[in-house]
Amino acid sequence: MKRKVGLTLLALLLSLSMFGCSSDGSSSSGKGKNSGLRMLMPYSRFDPNKDFMASYIQEKTGVQVNYEMLPAENFDEKLNLLVANKEPIDIMKLSSGQFYQLASSGALEPLDELIDEHGDYIKSAIKDSTWGSATIDGKIYAIPEAGSGASAGEALVVRQDWMDELGLEAPKNPEELYTVLKTIKEKKQIVPLTGAKDSIYGDIASAFGIVNDWEDQNGKLVHKAEHPRMKEFLSYMNRLYEEGLIDQEMPINTAAKAIEKFTSGKAAMYKLAWWNSTNTVNSLKQNFPDAKLSVIPYLQDADGKASVGINTGITWFIAIPKASKHKEEAMKLLNAKLAPDVFKGLAIGDEGVHHELKDGKYYPILPKFNEDLTNGSSYMTGTDEHKYPEYWQARVRKEPILQSYFEAFQKEAEGHLVIDPMSLAPPIDAVNKNKLKLMKLLDDNVLKFITGAEPVANYDQVLEQWYAEGGKDMVKQANDWYTNR
Amino acid sequence: MNRQQFWKTLWLDVRKDYSLYLLLIPGMLIVLLFKYTPMYGIVIAFKDFNIFDGYAASPWVGLKHFEKLFTSPDFLLVFRNTLIISVYKLVFLFPLPIIIALMLHELKQLLFKRVVQTIIYLPHFLSWVIVSGLFIDLLSTNGGLINKLLVSLGMEPIAFFLDTSVFRGLLVTSAGWKEVGWSTIVYLAAFATIDPQLYDAAKIDGAGKWKQLLHITLPGISSTIILMLILRLGSILEAGTEQILVMYNPTVYKVSDVIGTYVYRMGLGNQDYSFTTAVGLFESVIAFVLVITGNALSRKYLQRGIW
Amino acid sequence: MDTRLKQEQASIRKTPARKRSSSRDKGSLGERLFQIFNICFFIGMGLTTLIPFVNLIAKSFSSEAAVVSGSVNLFPIGFQIGTYRYVLQDILFIQSFRTSVIVTVLGTLLGLLFTTLTAYPLSKLRLRGRKWFLLYFIFTMLFSGGLIPTYLLMQELKLVNSIGVLFLPGMVNIFYLLLIKNYFEGLPESLEESAKIDGAGHLRILVSIVLPLSLPVLATIGLFFAVQYWNDYFAAMIYISNPEIKPLQLFLKEMLVASSNDFLKDRVDAALNTTPQSIQAASILLATLPILLVYPFLQKYFVKGVLIGSVKG
Repeated sequence: MKRKVGLTLLALLLSLSMFGCSSDGSSSSGKGKNSGLRMLMPYSRFDPNKDFMASYIQEKTGVQVNYEMLPAENFDEKLNLLVANKEPIDIMKLSSGQFYQLASSGALEPLDELIDEHGDYIKSAIKDSTWGSATIDGKIYAIPEAGSGASAGEALVVRQDWMDELGLEAPKNPEELYTVLKTIKEKKQIVPLTGAKDSIYGDIASAFGIVNDWEDQNGKLVHKAEHPRMKEFLSYMNRLYEEGLIDQEMPINTAAKAIEKFTSGKAAMYKLAWWNSTNTVNSLKQNFPDAKLSVIPYLQDADGKASVGINTGITWFIAIPKASKHKEEAMKLLNAKLAPDVFKGLAIGDEGVHHELKDGKYYPILPKFNEDLTNGSSYMTGTDEHKYPEYWQARVRKEPILQSYFEAFQKEAEGHLVIDPMSLAPPIDAVNKNKLKLMKLLDDNVLKFITGAEPVANYDQVLEQWYAEGGKDMVKQANDWYTNR
Repeated sequence: MNRQQFWKTLWLDVRKDYSLYLLLIPGMLIVLLFKYTPMYGIVIAFKDFNIFDGYAASPWVGLKHFEKLFTSPDFLLVFRNTLIISVYKLVFLFPLPIIIALMLHELKQLLFKRVVQTIIYLPHFLSWVIVSGLFIDLLSTNGGLINKLLVSLGMEPIAFFLDTSVFRGLLVTSAGWKEVGWSTIVYLAAFATIDPQLYDAAKIDGAGKWKQLLHITLPGISSTIILMLILRLGSILEAGTEQILVMYNPTVYKVSDVIGTYVYRMGLGNQDYSFTTAVGLFESVIAFVLVITGNALSRKYLQRGIW
Repeated sequence: MDTRLKQEQASIRKTPARKRSSSRDKGSLGERLFQIFNICFFIGMGLTTLIPFVNLIAKSFSSEAAVVSGSVNLFPIGFQIGTYRYVLQDILFIQSFRTSVIVTVLGTLLGLLFTTLTAYPLSKLRLRGRKWFLLYFIFTMLFSGGLIPTYLLMQELKLVNSIGVLFLPGMVNIFYLLLIKNYFEGLPESLEESAKIDGAGHLRILVSIVLPLSLPVLATIGLFFAVQYWNDYFAAMIYISNPEIKPLQLFLKEMLVASSNDFLKDRVDAALNTTPQSIQAASILLATLPILLVYPFLQKYFVKGVLIGSVKG
């Protein structure tokens, strides 16, 4: 009996180890099984090998690609594991942080020669000024994928029905905003302005001149943290907070929570992102059929000037790792995807099937557009910068509420857009290393000042800490680039 | 002579129980393969690790990363917070499942008992994000149940999530709510080892419920309690990073920033494997010392331990 | 098997029913008051733990507009069942459900097998070198080599992107091992002595005498393993990129993360395509329900454990 049990155990162990091997053979990691290219993309919620776009790309370019995604969380971790393992991936779509980390650890292939040889479409699709963001020490390490162009994302919206009831006008500047909020609080006994913990600045900060992360002041780059009017802004916000004019729970509100408070009538004003407009408007209508919503024009500073800050920096970088075994084929594919007609197909599908042209604007044909193209942007590997903003707006036009808020925001922002001067900066060591950490340090402390957990007078100490933990280097290296650009 | 005897008895013992040793082999091999083989990764705590260069090629830097940890200006605060929160959790949340398990044990309605057991372990299956959301709603100053209650009793509302004086209490309470039902299961299983005849004998002797509890039930599960306590010591520097990351906010950093959350924020945007490994190693060494000491003390004073 | 042993076991099995009924006496006033307090306490505690689930259920059956504005409490508003239809038709959900069932069943069986096998010899106080063997195992609870070398090992073993990576490395769980060992130590020595006189080997004693008496701890550890494997998403997040073999909790995690604000920053296209909160609620429930059903099923083994006591007599 003993022997029998022992044998059974042994057999079990053996079959288990077989199990490990055999299931790897059938996995989709693509090793050996099929000869296509391997492309790594950031997470999005769909099966990238079964999507319409995957077969569309194969059909248009004749190249078979096996797609893999990074996980939704711990994506940097997983990417590093793949690199540490010298995984032979051919194309990687990376965030700017990931791109810099891999490029500086020597894991990426310089692309200059490959682009010269196989990249005609790439060269005409991407503007000269954009290449800088992917260039390190004079060498190009990725194809920068520009986004949908400069547009305003958020604006303050207010319950117009209450404003009318109280006879209030839309506020034009911080002082008027204060009065409006105070009146709402006194008359309606509710939180006048709610917001989420991760969107502190926006409109109100802009009215104090704090428009973007970086600003050009007399030819010198100044970071938001060093902005001379930061304390003024914080004192103002602190006053709103102390007097109960901003939601006391703002430091713990998620975006969803802020929407919840606004749509359930617990708050009168909040900063709406246009992509949340459908949800917000529908929920508000359900709870208060008579509710009216209006967009507050962007607040003006003391000189009567309104500014809307935006960053047109590159979000995605398309790189070819050194470990790739098909570098030329990879570049050829990237080039083929930027051929004008192929790229248009990738962006908005086929005319008459996925989109139609009305008054010079592209409109989606529903539901076909949604069925086939919802995940399209995940497959993008570089965009035709001259055409993409125009194509992309088809996505906004698939729903009337969405479209109306997007357009309303853009109309308000027209002529007020201020582009962050660091948008087109190349990867800068001290910036890339410290950016996220310092942003968190600053935002955390800004929340402390606003809520009064720390007196605004202590801001200078925070700035000292910010400098000491890398801010000094960051500002210096950013300026080194800016003056020599 | 002595040494010879040692080897001789060893040989005899091993031969007598050789089949016991055989039973150990599969488990030891599995642990050897999956746990000990990757142990070499610890060396990067003493190197500047570059993912692309790998383990061998990365340069040695001695104790640099440990120095960085110990000399960082926030280390003392963070270390103190970790200990305080962890000790709170130990003091309040370690005995709680035992008490609840004992109370469950005393329930006489069998069906009720089963239903209750099944219900109180539900929160274990909710993620911290959801649990945190529940507590935010419950404790909100803007329509939360608890604050409505406080106000109706004529008290000032409390912003629990933003108040440094109550936030640690909130951490302990929410952790208790989430895990206490689940933690009773270990003790419920331990009750099964108690001989029911002991209770019968005690009743004949006229011992009341309280005496039965003190002299039969508690001693019956004492070895489980000791085991759990010693293991709990090993995680004293883990004050609940996952929970705190979800629940805290800048206004309460002062009382809730622990080693895990601090390292998380410091590592934002640049993956410093060497530093995180060094911190992990520091935590492991403390845990190991505590477990060894805990076991030794338990052996000395309670005559039992894990080994 | 020897007849005497069987008789002994049979007599063990018969005793409990009588024992339990005889212990049902009324007790003093204080004890009765305690009973009432006890019942009230658990009703209260049960309600606090049950209500969040009722709220989730209500949300999953409510209209999205009602959920977004936070007006759903214990009852659905704008009742619909489209959420469930949506989730149950989602091929990703079905695939990951299958993976989770396979991983949980295999993982629990293998885990119980190897952990119990290892725990048994370690429960013998006379085992030479017992302390060192225990330290060998406990050391791995406290120290680990980190993610990168583990990943490289899994790659070497060809386990990356295979379902085996989700349960093979955890076949011996040290915490559970210590619990089982602890339980074994509490079993009366006399039991095994009689078997030994009959010339039974260790493995046979383990299988035919010790294990049948260890159902409470096996049920507990089985539950722990099952819950652990069912709830684990981290291993899959790191090792598995093939959507066909992602487990359910990873599916759920991805759904929730992909709708969270941190994730959506700078991803306008993704923000236009998030999962409605009512569908999130339905998914959470569908992903949790199966494992919740395991416990009531195992509960009866906790009661059975009462048997062993009578062996000593």
